Amino acid sequence: MSTTLYRRPGVAELHPVRTRRRWNATKVVLGVSVPVGFVVLWQLSAVLEWVDPFLYPPPSRLIPGLVALWEDGKLVEATVTSVRRVILGYLLGAAGGLVVGLLMGMSRVLRAALEPFSWAWYTVPKLALLPIFLTIFGFGDTSVVVLIAATVYFFVWISVMSAVMAVPTGYREAALMLRANRWEMFRHVLLPAALPEIFVGLRISAGVSVLMLVGIEFVISDQGLGYLIEQGRTLLLLEQSYVGIVLVALIGYLFALLVKAIGRLFIRWTSDDNAIIPT
Amino acid sequence: MDHVGRRIAARDVTRSFVTTGRSTVHALGPVDLSIGDDEFLCVVGPSGCGKSTLLKIIAGLLAPSSGEVAVEISGDNRIPIAMVFQDYGIYPWKTVRANVELGLRLSGRPPAERREAVDDWLGRLGLTDFADVYPSALSGGMRQRVSIARALAIDPEVLLMDEPFAALDAQLREVLQDELLAIWQARRRTVVFVTHSLEEALLLGDRVVVMSARPGRVIADIDVPFERPRSSAIRTDPLFAKLRGELWSSLHSEVVAQFDAGKDPR
Repeated sequence: MSTTLYRRPGVAELHPVRTRRRWNATKVVLGVSVPVGFVVLWQLSAVLEWVDPFLYPPPSRLIPGLVALWEDGKLVEATVTSVRRVILGYLLGAAGGLVVGLLMGMSRVLRAALEPFSWAWYTVPKLALLPIFLTIFGFGDTSVVVLIAATVYFFVWISVMSAVMAVPTGYREAALMLRANRWEMFRHVLLPAALPEIFVGLRISAGVSVLMLVGIEFVISDQGLGYLIEQGRTLLLLEQSYVGIVLVALIGYLFALLVKAIGRLFIRWTSDDNAIIPT
Repeated sequence: MDHVGRRIAARDVTRSFVTTGRSTVHALGPVDLSIGDDEFLCVVGPSGCGKSTLLKIIAGLLAPSSGEVAVEISGDNRIPIAMVFQDYGIYPWKTVRANVELGLRLSGRPPAERREAVDDWLGRLGLTDFADVYPSALSGGMRQRVSIARALAIDPEVLLMDEPFAALDAQLREVLQDELLAIWQARRRTVVFVTHSLEEALLLGDRVVVMSARPGRVIADIDVPFERPRSSAIRTDPLFAKLRGELWSSLHSEVVAQFDAGKDPR
């Protein structure tokens, strides 16, 4: 025998508390340093004139742009409008997708009846439906909200339905043996078992809803951050566009974070950072 | 039992876990244990005593909180240690053949050699007719055979088995015990076999170690005197019953202690 494998306590075992604290700190540092690094690189590219700073305004020029937008109230107005639209649309679409997804996940008949039709609708770009929605709901908030809802609905529907269908037979049979009826099986087994995957779908669609929002506001150009970006482009106020883009990114991030935090409130039986991978 | 060399040496091994409530549970040890080369060691103990934890530490899946385990290996094999899990750990998306072949693929054996080794192990474990079937079509006993075949196909120097037959019915269990006995006696290697069955431990092991209630420590360590090669016929030997009685008397109070520990303190 030529080698000996040693199984010894590592740092995590010798100093569990310190290791956990250190990792928590590392997580924050890593999460912050990547965007900060990005901004630095962006600034450098303008300062060193890798790109034309007029066409690609650096971060330093966004600050005066931000101040100007703030002072004439356009920024607050646009942000409030956009956030209101996206939240309303998301809630509406997610609620619909959740209900239909759960029902279809539980019913073979509903699946057989609605799945082909729904999949066909899912692939239709919702922006293509904008004219129809504008005719029905008029030019304004309602059309935007409904269109976002329609988009989110399909994403949530698919993830919820597949999450419910993926619940293992063993869980279902155990519930049947406890004489659970449909509702009880749903309440105690199917919903909790599907919840982690459902929240993945909810997070993805949070991002999709912001995507959709900006797209719609681009096209109908009435209000909101999408309009701000589009207006900045046409009037060559590129700082305004960039401020809008950064703000949209920030809203999308915070939105997904919020959905994740809500998910954590409901899902207490799994920890999310423990996946083993070879070192 | 006289074994040429020492294969595994555990010294002062303990393991604690931090629960979600941030309190610490002392699960194992301190354990001192020496396992000889080609020795078949069985570990018994009340459930929750840390037997599986000890096995995972030997496997390197889990680090000890203190102490050290040294495992001697030749250094020639990419996969010197194999493990058979209680819940099989075979992959539903791979056929029986692909499951058994996986270790050989990962250690870079050429296809012809892989095929030969896999066919050999499938044959020995009665899986030849199921080679191209997915595990979902198999019974629990068949799945565990696949898992054993996967572990043995790589010809490991050390085989770790974590209650491999616990989920099987009594008859199938005996069949697989006999199979394992025959396989091991034909080609001896170091085995650490965790079980809660005293009969299983006595039938298979050269040596049986009894662990206490949590935190698990070694409270008895007996050599099993039956000659090799053995067969399941030794179950009827009066000495078998006597040894079982001895093991049970050392284990009984620990099982009760572990059980009581989980009760309402009132």
